[in-house]
Amino acid sequence: MLGFIIQRFLQAVVVMAVMSVIVFCGVYAIGNPIDIVIPPEATQEIREAAIRRLGLDLPLYKQYFIFMGNLLQGDLGRSFVYNVPVLELIGGRLPATLELVLISVISATVLGVSLGVYAGYRPESWISKTIMGVSVLGFSVPSFWVGLILILFFAVNLGWLPAGGRGETVEIWGVAWSFPTLDGLSHIVLPAVNLALFKLAMMIRLARAGTREIMLTDTIKFARAAGISEGTILRRHLLKLISIPILTVFGLELGSTLAFAVVTETIFSWPGVGKLIIDSIGVLDRPVMVAYLILVAFLFVTINFVIDLVFALIDPRVRQGATS
Amino acid sequence: MMKYTKFLAPLAVTIGLTAAAAASAQTLTMGVRGGPESMDPHFSALGSHAEAAKHIFDTLVWSGTDLQIEPGLATSWKPVDEDTWEFKLREGVKFHDGSDFDAEDVKFSIERIPVVTGPTTTTIYVRRVAGVDIIDPHTIHIHTDGQAATLPNDFIRLFIVSSEAAADYSTPETAAEGFNSGKAAIGTGPYKYVSWEPKGDLVLERNDDYWRGKGAWEKVIRKEIPNDSSRLAALKAGQVDVINYVSSVDYLALERDSSVDAIKGDSVYVMNLQLDQREKTPLVRAKDGSELAENPLRDLKVRQAIDHAIDRETMVDIVLEGLGKPANQMMPPGFFGSSEDIPMPEYNPAKAKELLAEAGYADGFEVDLYCTSDRLPGDGAICQGLGQMLTQVGIDTNVNAVSKTVYFPAQSRLEYSMFMNGWGTLTGEASYTLGGLAHSNNPEVKLGAFNRIAYKNDDVDRLLQTGATMMDEDERRATYEEAMEKVMADKAYISLVQLQTVWGAKAGSVEFTPRFDEDTLAFFIKPAN
Repeated sequence: MLGFIIQRFLQAVVVMAVMSVIVFCGVYAIGNPIDIVIPPEATQEIREAAIRRLGLDLPLYKQYFIFMGNLLQGDLGRSFVYNVPVLELIGGRLPATLELVLISVISATVLGVSLGVYAGYRPESWISKTIMGVSVLGFSVPSFWVGLILILFFAVNLGWLPAGGRGETVEIWGVAWSFPTLDGLSHIVLPAVNLALFKLAMMIRLARAGTREIMLTDTIKFARAAGISEGTILRRHLLKLISIPILTVFGLELGSTLAFAVVTETIFSWPGVGKLIIDSIGVLDRPVMVAYLILVAFLFVTINFVIDLVFALIDPRVRQGATS
Repeated sequence: MMKYTKFLAPLAVTIGLTAAAAASAQTLTMGVRGGPESMDPHFSALGSHAEAAKHIFDTLVWSGTDLQIEPGLATSWKPVDEDTWEFKLREGVKFHDGSDFDAEDVKFSIERIPVVTGPTTTTIYVRRVAGVDIIDPHTIHIHTDGQAATLPNDFIRLFIVSSEAAADYSTPETAAEGFNSGKAAIGTGPYKYVSWEPKGDLVLERNDDYWRGKGAWEKVIRKEIPNDSSRLAALKAGQVDVINYVSSVDYLALERDSSVDAIKGDSVYVMNLQLDQREKTPLVRAKDGSELAENPLRDLKVRQAIDHAIDRETMVDIVLEGLGKPANQMMPPGFFGSSEDIPMPEYNPAKAKELLAEAGYADGFEVDLYCTSDRLPGDGAICQGLGQMLTQVGIDTNVNAVSKTVYFPAQSRLEYSMFMNGWGTLTGEASYTLGGLAHSNNPEVKLGAFNRIAYKNDDVDRLLQTGATMMDEDERRATYEEAMEKVMADKAYISLVQLQTVWGAKAGSVEFTPRFDEDTLAFFIKPAN
């Protein structure tokens, strides 16, 4: 197990180092951020001064090594645009994204798996057919459009829910969260639904496919022959057996949604990290882009690592494979 | 008119509006496209940054609705010798923390700028300042590097911070912390700082002792909502009272919507087509792909042909949905130095073809046109319209509307031959626009920094250099008008359209006059009664 952890850790370091080089070169290739943000009255001299101040006059490899040197000391640099430490900037917005994403991914998973298992268990019933039909919509309708329609319907026409932004927040452990307040919850509902739709559809399809396959196996036949009730079979045997692909997808979706909830965050003006990164790309705020993408790489590696551990806990085959 | 149609609105909407109005009778919530980058007014010269700063801080010189300069914290100013301006400061003005405003604060602010500014550098506002002398607490002498006739114009965004409150927060490392926490965000402006987070809400409360008088709103919330549709939805859902930058598509729908007022105003932005004047230019070629003997854009006849090929009326009516005006020069009419003697170019494709033939390009040629697609309303669409119009007269145009993050760096590397972007004359006078674009690029005289087409007309250079030193206003105006006429006649810069911007507000709720610089300022927004 220890070897497994060390191996994963080394992988993570390599992934992040490669990531930083790619991002650095990519951003460098687009051009000089100064040319986007420099005001029109600036003289040639002022422009040169601004470039020097940000260290953009140095050759690429020097800029990269300065950045990596600071990174190793735990300093991700300061945003060009906001002049505050990048970690503070990202950290201040992470809770907003975190609560939105957790609420939507968890509810999508719980609801999706329940509906999917039902649809797989009784494939011929009209309810199952409805569930599957609706899930196609979840896949095929673009999420920015759904977001706009949700706003139009629930916020503009009916006036039940706010059109965007984050509601009232309360501080828990020094971090501002909005889900404990009623106003905060009412702000979360629409973006969470918007974010959850695609994942819900995917979970339904995964759970249904898994259920249909497992229901035909000998395990279930023998369990039935042994007189175990259908409810117990579903809970104890079926759920465990279909959970591996679902967990894998859950992990990946959690990671990608945390990192790239940008469409939903933009439409609902949700002050999360997705919006931050898009805005930073818009002005080539290099420290934020590089730091953020490295953090995302770290996030994915961590989530995958945790998921692997959880597999080992659930599935004895994986556990034995890892120890042998 | 809105008052009478209001009762026709659906019941739910009426109830919603009444409830919201009752809860926030003294609060103005504004939904705006962009926000400040810091609470330090000296950090950035970005328009939305200055707009937010104007709520908390004052400037020495104020620029009014039409960008005319007016007294601000300075009550009067005059040149005392060739390179010195004297500013008289307003007496009895107090900072939000109760301390007095005086010459020390002005000197401190001017000297602080070069130290704390970010990449969107505010050094531009003090670029001509060589030194500051305090004569008495309400008189200050500004020494300039040579004659600086437009110094008061430079000062319209020179924000004055408190020399006491900001004393410890004036290095690049400490400035953001001190101002963003509110400790140093102490100004003399109409509103006091309450809270702010980057890309989030800026919350302000009224400064009851403001020298212009008390503002109408006790509390102002400035919400940043960058997405155009979301901002409009927030207005319609009653979450915000006023929004800026309604898109041209939504504008048509708003005109028919009785629950929302659409307020249209002229913008300082003019779209200019720019034609590379270098002897070798990278993105122009014969239609068969072979290299041309010389750069056709250097031929005046070709440039005139391009001008005649452009149908500005159609561009405004169809492409911009009516939100613009045809333009014949780089600044809106009425600005200092814009000329009334420049004719509106005639749309005449037949003549364009004739001119091309005379110039030896009867078969036309091929060119790659580059424009921004995400900087100003309609820029990408104008680009496509332009491409079709030029192709019709025989210049095969490949349209590339790209993101500003790609466009501006490539433009500064001189990679384009024919390109279009907007230019806003934010100071309201010509030295800003012509000095940056039309003078040949010459760092020694600090002019032409944005001339990316190697345009050089010796007469224009001479006029711009003498104009910059003329202290007499009428003479200076005539000089810039002449320069503008010459630049526009050369057709290396072809102005296309002047944009207009639209604000949205709950019907009958507020009154305000649109500003040319597109600022949305709570102090100047009054509740309608």
